[in-house]
Amino acid sequence: MRTAALQRMKVYWPLYAMAIPGIVFLILFKYIPLAGAVIAFKDYSVFKGFVDSPWVGFKHFETLIHHPDFARVFGNTMILGLLKIVLVFPVPVLLALMINEIRKSALKKGVQTALYIPHFLSWVIVSGIVFDFFSLSGLFNVVLGWFGHEPVLAMQESGYFRVIYVITSIWRDAGWGTVVYMAAISAIDPQLYESAMIDGASKVRQIRHITFPLLLPTVLVLFLLEIGNFLDLGFDQVFNLLTPMTYSAGDILDTYVFRTGIQQAQYSFATAVGLFQSVIGFILVFVFNRLSRKVSDGGLW
Amino acid sequence: MFESRSEKVFVTAVTALLILLSVLALIPLLSVVATSLSSKSAVDMNLVTLWPKQLTLDSWRYIIDRPDLWRSFALTLGSTLIGTVLALLMTALLAYPLSKPEFRWGGVVMIAVVVAMIFKAPIVPYFLTLRGLGLYNNPLVLIVPHVLNPFNLIIMRTFFKQFSKELEEAAFLEGCGYFRMLFQFVLPLSKAVLATLALFYGVVLWNQFQHPLLFLQNPDWFPLQIKIRQFITDDNVIMSGAVSSADLNYNERTLRAVTVIFAIIPIVAAYPFLQKYFVKGAMIGSVKG
Repeated sequence: MRTAALQRMKVYWPLYAMAIPGIVFLILFKYIPLAGAVIAFKDYSVFKGFVDSPWVGFKHFETLIHHPDFARVFGNTMILGLLKIVLVFPVPVLLALMINEIRKSALKKGVQTALYIPHFLSWVIVSGIVFDFFSLSGLFNVVLGWFGHEPVLAMQESGYFRVIYVITSIWRDAGWGTVVYMAAISAIDPQLYESAMIDGASKVRQIRHITFPLLLPTVLVLFLLEIGNFLDLGFDQVFNLLTPMTYSAGDILDTYVFRTGIQQAQYSFATAVGLFQSVIGFILVFVFNRLSRKVSDGGLW
Repeated sequence: MFESRSEKVFVTAVTALLILLSVLALIPLLSVVATSLSSKSAVDMNLVTLWPKQLTLDSWRYIIDRPDLWRSFALTLGSTLIGTVLALLMTALLAYPLSKPEFRWGGVVMIAVVVAMIFKAPIVPYFLTLRGLGLYNNPLVLIVPHVLNPFNLIIMRTFFKQFSKELEEAAFLEGCGYFRMLFQFVLPLSKAVLATLALFYGVVLWNQFQHPLLFLQNPDWFPLQIKIRQFITDDNVIMSGAVSSADLNYNERTLRAVTVIFAIIPIVAAYPFLQKYFVKGAMIGSVKG
């Protein structure tokens, strides 16, 4: 038995040797931080580390619930998350259905290129463009000026933050979001359209009764993934669009964790906030997955 | 093909709407380009819209002469190139055994990879762990945490799985070991997936913002995104070294526009490759994920 194992190792050892760097990476950069989340239930001390810091139970979660900042930050996160699902999520579906109707392939490519480009720009660059666009002498205010409007400093007014968040989300990622839907549409059997045309179904009816229903499972899967990221609004995006004047609308869990956890070194408290966020995301995916399996046979698992 | 009048109207309307949306998507970019090439006075008088007014390269000259910007640029380019190569190597080294049924840890490691993909650690313990590893204020933080991405790993493993067993068995009979197999046969036949993943890793490395923000305090090690963020938010940083603002042909806004375009140029240059391979990658990803 032992000789057999030895014989095996003689042939297969390179596979194990190859895997070791990757496994070490996963442990160091994924699993230790994941396990380190226990400090949400401890009073983390730099000298004692993750393991030896004393347990304090739910102390930080209680502080969190009663913290006046938390209600505001959590509220902002919920509002932006809802806006993202209601206003941003459907856009790529509509775009994909529309792009699919373009006949000339050169034009189709051109449209896709124009809509994809912003996806490759970092949020720093996007914010640079947006700040320029809404600056006092920027395009937005120049055009407002043509109609005799007073200039608006949109980036410095909290009332505009949510609008800007939604618009930048759509501008940067909605075009790119069509890729998956376009792939799903191209997998639809062309015979379905042919027989629909023989039956005299109009373009609009074909979209309604063939393309859209067959696209729905893909939409559902992406919707579930989106729900799981409900409170995960993208640190880079919000951090870069935020100004001190827009905190009241734009300060979210991610930026709050960055300020309290990293800048003010309240490690355990900020971890509790982060853990709270992950748990809510997980519960949401779980609940919506159940629901979606009830209404159709789709779902993530 | 029979087509009624209303159909034609419908298709034309949709096409027109999409062209309009494409133009709208490009307008903000165009307006920043116009600002970067316009004079200070034209910008101050609200004359600049989508094309440069009082065309000048002065803002560009000022930015091109900033050594600190070039330093950030070189640092970002270097870390992106080195990081991408390292990431492909690390990913291939783990994806290859995972694609082999004779690798007995395969099942467990695969579950570990999927769990790592789904559950993201809260940022604070992540920060503390990396600090414990000595990555605080260490420029290696621009590379090391990015060299293995679970999602990319799964894509590469899926690709490796489709290699025929016959080819490998023939090679093994010749006395070729797993290492030679991977580097001499498998990787050269995997150019398509390597190109896709190189761009996935490359864009993340080039655009990274959160890691340097969290870990790097020394301005000498600021990558391009952090540098540009400073330029966008801090008038003093961007105008430092400017003699007097009265006779200058640029202002904060035109300079900012230049820095933004400066950082976009490499992306636009790589764009034809980006689009092609990213779409391919997204397809593989959507089939698997």
